[in-house]
Amino acid sequence: MKTKTQFAFFDEGSKKEIRRAILKAVCIPGYQVPFASREMPIARGWGTGGLQITLSIIGKSDVLKVIDQGADESVNAVSIKKLVHSTTGVELVERTQDATIIQSRHRIPEVPLTKEQILVLQVPEPEPLRKVEAREFMTKILHSENDYSGAWLMLFEQIMKYGRTATGADHPVYVNNRYVMAPSPIPRFDNPKMHQSEALILLGAGREKKIYAIPPFTDVESLAFDDYPFTVESFEGKHCHLCGATDVFLDELADNQTGESLFQCNDTSYCMDRLNAVEKVEVEGSYV
Amino acid sequence: MAIDQVHDLQAVYRELLHSMSRPGSISFIQETVERAGHNLPCYDATFICAMTLLDAEVTFHILSKNNQDLIEKISEYTLASYAPASEADFIIILREDTEAEIIDCMEQCKIGNLIDPQKSSTWIIESTPLSNERGRLLSGPGIKTTSTLKASFTEALWQTRNECTKEYPLGIDMIFTDEKAQLVCVPRTTKIEMTEVD
Repeated sequence: MKTKTQFAFFDEGSKKEIRRAILKAVCIPGYQVPFASREMPIARGWGTGGLQITLSIIGKSDVLKVIDQGADESVNAVSIKKLVHSTTGVELVERTQDATIIQSRHRIPEVPLTKEQILVLQVPEPEPLRKVEAREFMTKILHSENDYSGAWLMLFEQIMKYGRTATGADHPVYVNNRYVMAPSPIPRFDNPKMHQSEALILLGAGREKKIYAIPPFTDVESLAFDDYPFTVESFEGKHCHLCGATDVFLDELADNQTGESLFQCNDTSYCMDRLNAVEKVEVEGSYV
Repeated sequence: MAIDQVHDLQAVYRELLHSMSRPGSISFIQETVERAGHNLPCYDATFICAMTLLDAEVTFHILSKNNQDLIEKISEYTLASYAPASEADFIIILREDTEAEIIDCMEQCKIGNLIDPQKSSTWIIESTPLSNERGRLLSGPGIKTTSTLKASFTEALWQTRNECTKEYPLGIDMIFTDEKAQLVCVPRTTKIEMTEVD
């Protein structure tokens, strides 16, 4: 006998517990609220935190978009979409503008989010101080005492070693001038999108059992020194080889034949949208 | 018609989440409330909020005395247990509660500690009809510049609330409900101007 799965996979008790954690997370921006991370049909560390948030907040009328490193069609995104769809039946989309809930791994979409949307980010390591302090009870004390010298020291050591802060992704941020937070491994390019965002941002770490949030219109400041200001990845003089976009986050690819570097939009749906728009104009122009 | 424990409560939760992340913005849960049809000594919106958030893992407190019936109903529906004000995770304030009683309760409720600021009480407060026309000026995370909120809280009550939240991240988070099935939230991060705006 095959029993029907509960709507959104979880039993109502699990949803309530996660929902309460999300509410507290919204009330204390940047603070990691512990929650009882559930066993999921995908392995911990593969986006279970984000998935649990998505499943707890999603309703029948929601429209879901899932991205993995900017791509709508990579394995992680596709399996999460399949799971949510098979247990809820919600509509799945790729266009950022059409979605009400956007679950993402490691990127914030290029298209600015609106107040009707909720961005759910999957977090592998929510603790920005973990590299300097391995013990959870100690990092909790450091957060409570607003002692972030460890995070500053990490950046300082990078400057000493490399002449600049060398965080590839997950550059720590100050939220609402109180908590230092790991923005999940989004590139530095995306950090400014969190500042005074129109959309609510929820972050979930399933393996580490933490949920945290950035409410809309909240100050999010990337950690930086006066003489070494925060900078985002620069793509000056480069453009997407498909759609020609310039002010977006680009992936560097190598051309197998020539060995030359190619650049391509990391956000696939954004790139596709632009290409479709160009094609539409071409088709309309040629139709006599 | 009874409410749908899965879909109706999800819809209410989303309204709560919307209001909590945008302090001062009013949400409507009219549709769910109409379906509820409970004959209780509290607003339907209050009861629905309790249904949405409470379960066996948390405790609640109802300030007004002589409300054994409501306590039993909430316990039976949600499996949450009743606790004194100093221990309760959720505190429910009804229209009949007086200013002095509420202040007294606010002074002893849980506001969390610096290690675990989330271990604080969430208040569900019944108010006169909520509106954004005139009232207190709110600012803080979730609010672009400022927003105004008119609720039945008096000057003294807001002052006590501000006392509770002055040592951020400690504090209480509040959900106001009214008879028109409206919701509005004031989390601990919200700054409240003490003078009313006309």
